[in-house]
Formats: sequence, C-alpha cells, structure tokens
Amino acid sequence: MGVSRANAASRAVLLAALTVSAGTPFVVLGVTSAAGSWFFPAVWPASWTGDAWALLAGSLGSATWASTAIATSTAALSCLVGWPTGRAIAALSGWRRHLAAALAFLPVAAPAIAVGIGAQYFFLRVGLAGTWAGVVLAHAIPASGLASLYFLSVFLTVDLRMEDEARSLGAGPWLVLARVTVPALRRQVAEAAALGFLVSWSQVPLTLLVGGGTVRTLPIQVFSYLHAGEERYAAAGALLLVVPPMLVLGAAVFATGRTEVVTA
Amino acid sequence: MRARGRATIGLVAGGLVAAPVLIGIAYAGLAAVGLAGVGRAGAGGGRVFRVLGDPESWEAVWWSVRTAAAATAIAAVAAVGVGLAFRGQARGHRAAHLLSVLPLPIPHLVAAAAGVLLLSQSGVLARLAYAVGLINGPAQMPLVVGDPAGVGFVLTLAWKEFPFLALVTFSLLATRGPAMEEAARTLGATPRQTFRRVTMPMLSRGLLPAIIVVFIVIAGSYEAGALLSGSHPQPLPVLTYERYLDVDLSRRGDAYALTLLGLVIGVTAVALHEWARAWSDDGG
Amino acid sequence: MPWDSVVARAHATTVTWLMWRGDPSVNAYVDSWVAPRLKYEYNITLRTVDAEGPAILNALVVEREAGHTPGSADLLWINGETFANLRQEGLLFGPWAGRLPNAAYVDSASPIVARDFEQRPNGYESPWGRVQFALIYDMARTPHPPRTVAELRQWILAHPGRFTYDQSFTGMTFLKTLMYALEGGVAPFEGGFHEAVYDSASARLFSWLRAVGPALWHDGRDYPRDVAALQRMFANDEVDFAMSDNQNDVVTKVRQGILPATARPLLLRDGTIANAHYVGIAFNAPNPAGAMVVANVLLSPAAQLEKQEPAVWDDGTVLAIGKLPAEWRARFEALGRDPHALSPDSLAKYARPEVNPRYQERLEADWRRLVRDAQP
Repeated sequence: MGVSRANAASRAVLLAALTVSAGTPFVVLGVTSAAGSWFFPAVWPASWTGDAWALLAGSLGSATWASTAIATSTAALSCLVGWPTGRAIAALSGWRRHLAAALAFLPVAAPAIAVGIGAQYFFLRVGLAGTWAGVVLAHAIPASGLASLYFLSVFLTVDLRMEDEARSLGAGPWLVLARVTVPALRRQVAEAAALGFLVSWSQVPLTLLVGGGTVRTLPIQVFSYLHAGEERYAAAGALLLVVPPMLVLGAAVFATGRTEVVTA
Repeated sequence: MRARGRATIGLVAGGLVAAPVLIGIAYAGLAAVGLAGVGRAGAGGGRVFRVLGDPESWEAVWWSVRTAAAATAIAAVAAVGVGLAFRGQARGHRAAHLLSVLPLPIPHLVAAAAGVLLLSQSGVLARLAYAVGLINGPAQMPLVVGDPAGVGFVLTLAWKEFPFLALVTFSLLATRGPAMEEAARTLGATPRQTFRRVTMPMLSRGLLPAIIVVFIVIAGSYEAGALLSGSHPQPLPVLTYERYLDVDLSRRGDAYALTLLGLVIGVTAVALHEWARAWSDDGG
Repeated sequence: MPWDSVVARAHATTVTWLMWRGDPSVNAYVDSWVAPRLKYEYNITLRTVDAEGPAILNALVVEREAGHTPGSADLLWINGETFANLRQEGLLFGPWAGRLPNAAYVDSASPIVARDFEQRPNGYESPWGRVQFALIYDMARTPHPPRTVAELRQWILAHPGRFTYDQSFTGMTFLKTLMYALEGGVAPFEGGFHEAVYDSASARLFSWLRAVGPALWHDGRDYPRDVAALQRMFANDEVDFAMSDNQNDVVTKVRQGILPATARPLLLRDGTIANAHYVGIAFNAPNPAGAMVVANVLLSPAAQLEKQEPAVWDDGTVLAIGKLPAEWRARFEALGRDPHALSPDSLAKYARPEVNPRYQERLEADWRRLVRDAQP
C-alpha cells in the first residue's frame, strides 16, 4: 500500500516534470517573440512589440510557404521512392537484405553537411543549385532513405495475401496497387509522408549548400535571424516551425489513442 | 530465375537510394587527394595525411562522438524510466505518453535556439536564479552554452531526442512486453526476475537500433553545434563547414578530407545499425 | 553601352545580392528602404542572400568549378581581403563602377574611399559606405573606461572575465587595431605586405593576448562566434565591452532597444581602423545591368542620406558633400547628430587606414591556430 502511494507520488512528480519539459521551450520562445527590450536580469520583458509577428505578412510568411511547398514535394517524392525500394528490399533475404537495407540507411546516417558538400558540385553542374526543385531533390536524399527503411519494415510485417486474391480475380498489377494495396496501407503511407515532410521541414545544411541561400525556407530564415542577433524574429519563426507539426501529431496521437505513430 | 531477378532489384533499389551519398563519397575522396574540387593541386595524399595528423580534426571527432554518446544515453535512460513508470492506460498514463511524444517534430534548430535562450549565462534560468538570489551576476551561472565540454549541447539534444526514444519504448512495452512477461510469470518467475531477465533485455534489444539512429543524428547535427558549441573544440560538422569556407583556397581540400571522416562515422553507424536490427529482431 | 540602355535592360528584373545579414539595422535599411524604391522606380525585385566574405568567395569558386553560367548572384557586398581574393581569382565582373551616374559625387579625394585595403578598386567595385571601428561600453557600469591600449590591458587584468572579442571580422579588426598600436603606429605596415613586419608585430600581439588571456571571458578559452553574439553578451551584462566596425552602431542600436540606453562608443587614442565597404558584381552574374542600377541607387544622395540617419543605420556616406547639388548639400549638412555620437574631429584624429589584406588573412589564420585552437 505504502509502495503504491509512493509510486503514485513519484508518477505525479514525473508527470509534472514532463509538462514543464514539453512546455518551457514554447513559453520561452513565445515571450521572446513578442518582447521589446529584455535585458538581464529582467525576468519579464519591460515592453512588448508585435513586429516579429507582423513578418508573417513578409519574410516569415513567404518562408513558411516555401517550406510547406518544399516539404510536401519532398514527402511525395520520398514515398514514391521509398515504397518500391522498401518492397524490393523486403523481398530479399539473408545478407542481401542486410546489404540493401544498409545502403538505404546510408543517406540517413551520413552527416547532412557531408552529403551537402559532396553533392553541391553536381547540383551546380546540372543547374539545380539555387532552385526549389534542387532543394527538394537534395532533401529527398535523406528522406528517401528513411522512407525506404520505413516501407521495408511495413512490407516485412503486413500480410499481402489480399493482393493474390485480387490478382486471381483478374486484376492487373497497377489496379491491384491502386485499389487494394495502397488503400490497405493508407495509414502507413501517411506516416511515411509525415516522416519525409519533417526531414525536409527541419533541414538546414542541405538547404544552405544546395539552395545557396536563394531558396529561403523557414529554417534558413530562422538561422539567419539568429546569426544577426534578431532573437525576436528568430523566436517567431521557430514557433512557426514547431506549432503546426505538433498540432498534427497531437491530433494523431489523440485520435488513435496509439503511441506507435512512427516506427523508424 | 524469378528469385534471382528479385534479388537484383532489391539491391539495385537500395543502391539507387544510396547513390547520391556514394557519389558524394567518391567526389570527396577525389577532392581530398587533390584530383577534383576547389583548390586542387594535383594528386597526392598529403592533404589527407595533414588532416589526419592535425589534432584538431581528432578533437572535433572526439567532441562529436562524446557529446552524441552522452546525449543519447541521457535520452535513453529517461525514455526507459518514463516508459516503465507509465505502462498503463489510465488517464495520467495517456497524458504522460502525449507529453513525452509531443516535442517529437521539433527541429534541431529550434531546440538549439530555445537552448540558448534558456541556458546561456544571461538566459531565462540565469534570470530566475538571480531573481531568487542564487547568483549575483551572469558569471556565477554555470557555463553550459559555448563551453568546451558541450554540456548545453548534450542537454538540449537529449531533450530533443527523448520523444523519439520514448515513442519506441512505449511501443515496445505495449506490443512485445506483455506476452513475454506473461510467459515468464507462468514459468514461475518473480516480478523482479521478470523485470531483470525479460523486460530489460527486451527493451535494450528493441531500443538499440533507435539508439544508434539517435546517436548518428546528434553526431551529424550542424545547426545545433553551430549555436551551442564553443569555439574550441568545434563539432566535426562545424569544423568541416569552417574549412569549406576558408579564404585560403588551398585549405578548402581539408574540408573534403573532414567530410570523408564524417562519412566514415556514418558508414560505421550504418553497419552497427544493421547488426543491431538483426539482433533486435532475433530477440523479438 | 550608354546608361539609358543599362537602365532599360534592368527594368522588371530580379537582382540577387549576396550580403552580410548579420545586423538588424542594415537589414532593415535594405529591406524596407532600398528594396521598395528599386521596385517603385525600376520595377527591380531585390533578393538578398545571407553570405559574408568567405561564403561569397566560396560560392563563386564552386560555381566556376562546376561551370555554372550564368551564376546565381549579381551584386556582392565586399571589401578588403574578399575583394583581393575575388580579383586575384578573376571572379569579379568589370570595370563598371565609373559608369554609374552617381559615381560623379564620390569622395574620390578621401584615401579611405579611394583605396580598399591599399588596393585600387579600378572600377571593379563601387563604394557604398565608410565606417570607423569603435569599442562599446556602458557608462552606467564603467564610468571610467580605458582610453588607450595600455589602459585597456590594465582594465582587463583588473576585471577578469569581463572582456572578450568575437572570432569574426569585427574581432579581427580589433586585433589589427591592437597590432598597429603595439608596433607604434600604422606606418611600418603600409606599402604592401612585409613578412618581417608581420612576424615581429604578430609576435608582439600574440604575447599581449597571451598575457591578458586568462583574464578574458571564459579565461580566454572561448570566443563569441560573431559580433551579434558579442553585443548580445554585452547587453545582458555577461561582459562590459562590445565592439563594432561602425562607430555609430551603438547610437542606432540604443534607439532600437537592442543595446541598453547607457551604452556609448569609445575610441582608443592609439588609433582605430577606418575603412570603406563596397559592392561588386559577380563574373557570372545573370543580371549585371540590374546590379549596376542597384549600385547606382545605393550611391544616390537620397539613399546615402537615409543610410546616414542615426535612427536608420548611421553608416557614413562615401559622397563628397561639396560635389552635391545645393539642395542635397543642405540636407546632408542638416542631418541630425545624435548627442551620444563621437565628434567628427576625434574620429578623424584617431582614424587609421587599412593595410594590405594579406596582414588580415595571416592574422586570422594564425589567431585561430595559435590562440583559439591552442587550448590545452
């Protein structure tokens, strides 16, 4: 009895700690984004201003749009690459599967700055540097690797006998894919797309090197503001970077009551 | 026949996904020995040896490996602790799951920006400490941002990666856990034995691939290092980029050699990850 | 090509400008004054890209290697060693600067404008502004600041942990200022790079730095990454001094609430470096005509006047007021001076020129190696 009460108390403490841990950064970023002069040792800003949020109509707004478009394209592209790759690797066995999976993991594990330095020359060569398409392709390097691994784990576990049934009824391979397999794996596709979106949405070095600074995504804008010491603008941009994906994630966790949203 | 064709397709597909990195490795390799890239001075291994012989390169590698290991360890211990404390389906448990997982999509950049605002010597924590009279000025606040040890970097990235490891832990405990524990108990194991012999090994096996992913993501992080690390030693990605931008064009090649060093760490992690995945699946 | 056709060709184009975006005042001036005017007057869209010296050189070198023509950048904000490297590598378009209509107003008699780190621009870059290095202190915290390099040394030793400099170009300008002072003036450094002079001067400088090192912020083991970081530390009482390449920076930033109201500029009597900054055009610029029109607008009396406003940027003009039409001359002369700004007389008295960029390049490399990275 005493043990369980102690457990309950420590759980309560832990829950409080989790709340503080999850909430503090947002409070700090939120206050910073609207603070006027706020020098040490002031715990609270002496004045407030909305000028950072006014940038929603300017640099932060256009960067949010650029990031949304680029991350959505990256998500789509990485699913298109990851699905067939993951499926093909799942069909392998033994050392071949290990080798193929290791290859797919390489773009995820290689430091982005190293991938970017290695790739910059080729992107320039073919005229893709400094373009949105080039940035999408660059982001798709790690995103496709992650999507391939994700679909590998999906195809290793799901039961695809329904495909055989559809085929036995005379459906062609594309029809089976469009009418049977993809609808059955809708949730998995959505999760893979979410992963690809996040890889692109938070990317800095590849955008810096391949975008050459002309493609202004939200992280690049935030990085630039941090570099200039414009903390207010950076904080507003940082909140724009985290709040939308967190709302989506929160809704997903809440709606399904499950926690295994991602299983990379 | 058909099986052989399939085998080829799978390997080719994996190879295509890896191609940009493999080409990048080849290019960096050529550039590092002076056969390509800016500031090429003819073939020769001198540059590679110069970089490998420069203690700064190894200090950077060690800094990145050391901080990534520490941050991963902290995140993993916290994830397992929280996972074990909240195994139920009651309201408080579900709330704990949600709170743990919620910061998952936060980019490194944002975590690092928040880390600076919170932890620097004149940051929010320092101001609170000053307000309650714990310190008299910023200098008395422990130095964790821009410090050689990288304490702020470790704390920030441990916080940033905790949600991912917590997610995997929750999922392992919900799926693999109950059946194995049930089996152990029917065989007469005490709760303590079940925990030590079944739950913990199951968690460590199941978590290992995710732990390796987290380690390599932290070790390769450029933006968090650029914002939180000190000026010496620098994280490997930051040092690489500094060399890449050196005004002395002949030093530019050093960046390619450092790039190779980063890729070697990446490839090692890939091999470990693949091994850990196989091991983890065997155990499951 | 006559100027009219340059303007015609620039109409309704986009100009990409690689510039240091590390200062809120500069960014605000460019984004909310220059860009709208270009749009309104020439229908030119200005796109700024965050890149300073080394990154600009890197971008162009890599583009040339990959045969990327036309390139991605038009206008480049440069001076000193970046200009020298770009010229040496043949990465600048030109000569063009002499063709700008507003070039007629340039203060070409001033050695600071007419020589960029002892180099003649020769039409490969057009002047944009001039500044003089100054320290920044807080008169509430430090009522009696040091006025000479010798006093500064005593002050640092007497106040451990309260002084540092950044590892980017502002910090390097500070080190050059020290190097001149410790060598008894700028004279030995003038007229090209002299290895022997550098060796003795840098040895003296590094021994000075080693002597004060343990009394610097973080015992001299760490240095802020850039001047924005240093100014943030100063504003938040982590250190007692900041610095700027622009003597008026402090005036503008106090008005903007970025620095505390009691912050003031400070000139060391041993002399501080004055220099000019310029804009160049990339060798592979997709839109050189547009870049020239932007450079001409930057050089216009209206743009130079706005830029010099204490509330905007307070960056010194490169125009000779005497050459301007009477109307503009009057407006420049009426330009308000902030009571906290340094007087033109003392600025002129303590101004020292830049020397061959090789000094800076060597100093930067040796500082990284012998000071920053030589930690136990």
